[in-house]
Amino acid sequence: MNRFRSNAVARVDRRRFIGTAAVAAASIAAGRLAATDTLELPFENGTRTLAKYPQKRPLIRLSARPPQLETPMAVFDESLLTPNDAFFVRYHLAGSPPPREVLVPPAFRLAVQGHVGTALSLSVEELKARFPAAEVVAVNQCSGNGRGFFNPRVPGGQLGNGAMGCARWSGVRLADVLKAAGIKPGARQVLFNGLDKPQLPSVPDFVKALDAEQALDPDLLLAFAMNGEPLPWLNGFPLRLVVPGHYGTYWVKHLHEITVVDAEFKGYWMDPAYRIPDDPCAHIEPGTKPRHTIPITRFNTRSFLTRLADGAKVAAGTSVPLRGIAFDGGAGIREVVVSDDGGKSWNAASLGRDEGKFAFREWTFEWKPVGSGERELMARATNRLGQSQPLDPLWNPAGYMRNVVERVRVQVG
Amino acid sequence: MNPSSRFPLPLLAAMACMLGSPTRAAEPDEWKLPSETVELRAGKGREWVAGQCVLCHSADYVTTQPPLARAAWTATVEKMRAKYGAPVPTNAVPSLVDYLVTAYGKPDPAK
Repeated sequence: MNRFRSNAVARVDRRRFIGTAAVAAASIAAGRLAATDTLELPFENGTRTLAKYPQKRPLIRLSARPPQLETPMAVFDESLLTPNDAFFVRYHLAGSPPPREVLVPPAFRLAVQGHVGTALSLSVEELKARFPAAEVVAVNQCSGNGRGFFNPRVPGGQLGNGAMGCARWSGVRLADVLKAAGIKPGARQVLFNGLDKPQLPSVPDFVKALDAEQALDPDLLLAFAMNGEPLPWLNGFPLRLVVPGHYGTYWVKHLHEITVVDAEFKGYWMDPAYRIPDDPCAHIEPGTKPRHTIPITRFNTRSFLTRLADGAKVAAGTSVPLRGIAFDGGAGIREVVVSDDGGKSWNAASLGRDEGKFAFREWTFEWKPVGSGERELMARATNRLGQSQPLDPLWNPAGYMRNVVERVRVQVG
Repeated sequence: MNPSSRFPLPLLAAMACMLGSPTRAAEPDEWKLPSETVELRAGKGREWVAGQCVLCHSADYVTTQPPLARAAWTATVEKMRAKYGAPVPTNAVPSLVDYLVTAYGKPDPAK
């Protein structure tokens, strides 16, 4: 009987995938990835196809319908801004992405409606013409980024750490559009609906809510461009909500309906979906159920070593330039420290160009490994509020908000 | 100084093209997704996954899960029925769960 995997098999798998992942990372770095390649994410049942999608280079495919694609880690070493053709893709509903005919003029219009003085209907061109341009460099990250690493494992999209990216988003301020419509007194929340549709009428449409006060925050954008280009089809063309510092669930794609309401919205994608335990750091005892939940909101602090992949080899007696990225929920990164001894000692890394408090912050560190053998490299970021990363992973049943200090094992000599 | 006196018109036109507007391109030029390729493992009850579950998502939603125990697969199937209206009849649930546990599951933890 081989239908159940034993722990022994899982251990063998683990050794194998480290080697395969390193080979895949080297291929990615060399730009040699073909659409037929596979790679192993470093957890059980982590085999993934690298699939070619419109406007995308081959990316790690989690699912085909709706499409869910994650970015290979090596991409984050290429540049601070994640290229559009490598930016991750996450959809919920089978009718995604919406077809061309509903996304291009004259069909596509944004409605602003509900508890407002003047309902609006705007084309993208009218948005551009009527409201001042605004832009922000901001990280978008899936709530479940890193879910595949949860222990004990949890059901859901089994992502590595590639469901994140940082882009320059251009558009207009949501607040300006809401003010033009005139929010009426008594408004409680603002709802955002995109053109992605469920296959069956019984499946709840993907609608997200923000409190009215938060919706008027000037940081929030209605974005039509990403890194100076129109949004890719799979990243929300022609218009998406940008909620800097907040998980991607709020960044509604193909946004066509903004509705101001005077009561708290109870839709499925706000409750029970996308909720975290109302406990410190969204952490509960592994394997248990939360007593009380709240909607997920801001990113916690994270950092990654991007220059070396697990299993990499470096020469002994040399200086090895390490590089990585760090980000948080919008306070900005204050410090990144690096350890090569499994967390016993730490040294400060240098922080790179500051693209704003919502962006990836580059860090670099000249590593001078002493001796030879396996070393465990760790990077740990702290934001300007003093919020850092735990050495032991948090756990919750939905697999959200992973931010443990990641470990990369490399061979010296 | 009038710029046209310094640069011939064709060159100015070429420069304008190169500068352009960063958001000038109107729309993507590809609108078709690759096909689904993932196959489900053989087994009794496979037809329920192949017939019902894939109405709303490709089979890789199942095949990429970690090995889940019976309780977790049961909870997942119930969630799909209760929250998403998956059209799986009540009397088909046991054989659907049996298939998922056999093909993509693991034994129950020791009591």
